[in-house]
Amino acid sequence: MNTLKPVLSRTLQLLLVLWAVVTILFLMFRLMPGNPLAAYIDPTFTLEQQEQLIRQFGLDKPLLSQYFTYLGNLLQGELGYSFRYRTPVAERIWLLLPNTLILTFSSLIIAYVFGILAGAWLAWRRGSRAEAVSLPIVLATRAMPEFWLGMVLLAIFSFSLGIFPAGGTRSAGTEYTSLWALYTSADFLSHLALPVLTLAIYSQGLPLLLMRSNMLDVMKEDFVTMAKVKGLSPYTIVIKHGARNALLPVMTSFAISVGYQLQGNVVVESVFSWPGLGRELVSAVSASDYPLAQGAFLMIAVVVIAMNLIADLLYTLLDPRISHA
Amino acid sequence: MNTLLKLASTSLMSAAMLASPALAQDQIRTLHLLSRPQAAQPAEFQAMQLIAQEWRKLGLDVEVDVMPWEQMSDQVWYNRNDWDATAWQMTGRPERSDPDEIIYNLFHSTTAESGYNFIGYANPEYDAVVEKQRVTIDPDARQALVVEAQEILAKDQPNMMLVHPEQAFAFDKTIWDEASVVNQSGIGIRNTWTWLSLAPKADQKDIIVNSADNVISVNPLYISGVTDSWITELVYDRLFRVGPDGLPTEWAAQSHEWRDDTTIAVTLRDDMMWHDGEPVTAEDVKFSYEATTGGEAPMYSPFGKGISGIEIEDGNVVVFSLTNPSASFITSSLAKINLIPKHVWEPILADLATKEENAESYQEEMPIGSGPYKFERWITNEEIVLSANTDHFNAPKAERWILRFVPNAEAALGMLRSGEINFLTDFSGDPQVLIDAAAADGDLEVMSTVDIGFRYIGFNNRRPPFNDPAFRSALSSAVDRRLIVNAAFKGFAVASNSVVSPALEFWHAKAVVDNFQAGADVAKSMLDEAGYTMVDGRLAYPEGVKETLGD
Repeated sequence: MNTLKPVLSRTLQLLLVLWAVVTILFLMFRLMPGNPLAAYIDPTFTLEQQEQLIRQFGLDKPLLSQYFTYLGNLLQGELGYSFRYRTPVAERIWLLLPNTLILTFSSLIIAYVFGILAGAWLAWRRGSRAEAVSLPIVLATRAMPEFWLGMVLLAIFSFSLGIFPAGGTRSAGTEYTSLWALYTSADFLSHLALPVLTLAIYSQGLPLLLMRSNMLDVMKEDFVTMAKVKGLSPYTIVIKHGARNALLPVMTSFAISVGYQLQGNVVVESVFSWPGLGRELVSAVSASDYPLAQGAFLMIAVVVIAMNLIADLLYTLLDPRISHA
Repeated sequence: MNTLLKLASTSLMSAAMLASPALAQDQIRTLHLLSRPQAAQPAEFQAMQLIAQEWRKLGLDVEVDVMPWEQMSDQVWYNRNDWDATAWQMTGRPERSDPDEIIYNLFHSTTAESGYNFIGYANPEYDAVVEKQRVTIDPDARQALVVEAQEILAKDQPNMMLVHPEQAFAFDKTIWDEASVVNQSGIGIRNTWTWLSLAPKADQKDIIVNSADNVISVNPLYISGVTDSWITELVYDRLFRVGPDGLPTEWAAQSHEWRDDTTIAVTLRDDMMWHDGEPVTAEDVKFSYEATTGGEAPMYSPFGKGISGIEIEDGNVVVFSLTNPSASFITSSLAKINLIPKHVWEPILADLATKEENAESYQEEMPIGSGPYKFERWITNEEIVLSANTDHFNAPKAERWILRFVPNAEAALGMLRSGEINFLTDFSGDPQVLIDAAAADGDLEVMSTVDIGFRYIGFNNRRPPFNDPAFRSALSSAVDRRLIVNAAFKGFAVASNSVVSPALEFWHAKAVVDNFQAGADVAKSMLDEAGYTMVDGRLAYPEGVKETLGD
């Protein structure tokens, strides 16, 4: 009972946030200038054909009734029909979401494993020359725009050295019997390498710096001094005593980072021709395919909000000192 | 003190009265020129800035209004009275190899209300000429009429023609035999003929091409996009195809015969099969034409509109009866409408007839055509794979044709060099970059072609001052097109003064372009002659014309 109540109240809060996002999305696309179907109504259409298309998409109804239809449909998991593809938005999103999630999670895991280890090491080597060299480099990678970093990696590893392919998830014309067969193939992994590297370089800075500063705090605590006095090895002190305690905030930042990473995907997927949700979002917005853009935005918002909830709950679970009571 | 003020004000009033004769002429209001944003259309944006600058030299107040395409098309197309001038473009398509679509639809007065004549041009003399060329079957007689139409347009300047852009494509000549590449007039080397004849030099037998745009659908009854039509042209056959010379040539038709001005009999080849193994019959052909005009395929219906009846004779002859004689019928209908299998589409169309959606919303799991390539698979936003139909009467020399979606132009060029693609069919970057990259690489061949399509400014012929041909001509003459070609299109375009591209050599009126005079002095003397004068540093209407649309 004690643990259930905070979970419920957090979930309710987040549902409220979700409703706000949904409403803003609805209004945003409808208040844009121009007839939303203008890009899709061919000039050769007769007036009757145009009206039919407008009816088909429910755009002839008043805004408020459109809004309620939209909310009602959402509750049933119905995201509407894409203007451009004339197919259900949900179908398209489900096709592309796995590619985006693979990219996001593999790059974040690499970034966090590296960041945590390197952060702990840098905290241990505080004041050394290694720290003087590495910190500016880390700060520089945080400041690099992702598309620029992506283009540089493409130019080096793909176009000059020819180690990795430049785009897509597979070589032209290769067929895989299932998603699993694709994701476990060497072909896929070599295509995944550069986009993951780009995102990992971009996102390792946060866990690294966070881990380092937490470690520095932890290392000042009495139990660490005690461990040192006991004559324990540096490995035991840093990893077993220090890192375990410093890790907590880093883990919650992982959950929140998933949201930021999805946003970074928009750019990286375009640079590497990755068939994911981010690229779809860009093309839907530039083609004024409002239902599809709305659906993709919503899906990203849901993932971000869900990860926030997980981060919150994780914190209470991992650190008994913090409670929502 | 008071009297002094009074005196001063009366003298001012009399001064104003003295100047009043000049005020009889109304200054022209601020004119608005619409353009798409620099990020989306850099060449167009640049051209509009340059043109506005030249127009200002004539004493006009010009503002360039920048807006995204959706907003611009909405304004121009659906609010036909509410704008002054707009940048616009027509893209080159194989069926536009016949000049009829452009010279008729863009300027005939009947299409002014809701059709392609959105500029509202109305000239009975012009209407008569383009109507006549439509029904003139003799090519030489028709050519004279098409040239006459271009001359009328040059005199009236309903539009300000700017340029015909050049399109550059590239391929890897270590993989493909250069001699097997076909350069289609006004379309370039990226065309169906190339995909059929392209001969491999070594082990790589897959043609791998790129597109920045996603394919919307693979649907024989829906024109959903430029890239989409690359695929439908390969998967589906047509009775005729527009040949490399821009003229229609028999394809699924074994032979054809005009029985009179409104009746054409087409004999179908007897060696054709659908990709599912069924034979292609005259019934299928008849069905295909009826399907396009049956109301379920709005975008194709204009191409079958002139047909009044279809009969089958002797099992394999399809006889089309037309409501009126039509010189462009072969190009615009027979070379346009896809042949579709009756056994696949009849039940689909019957089902759609009961629903609000039409055939344009329908995507087959596995599109079945009879064309030189078979549909294999489509991986969303990644690639579309077609394989050679070796049983086809014009079977391709390559094994597969693979389209990869690459949104990033620099990456596409890099992929061409690394071999991930081997035929660059879409490059939105600077053409000079492509040429330099090819020179550095050594394995690549770049070919550029003048487009059938063109860029222009549409004047709103309904609104003063654009309702005056003299004013339009002066504005058009104010701009040296070489400036537009070099500064906006970086040299990859040719100057234009006619809607019929020089790529369509037979129909193009060369003299109309050659005789075009441009320069600020030419424009000023034209305005002078037509009675426009300067009032307080701004251009004013001729005497008697009032500004009714001022802000």
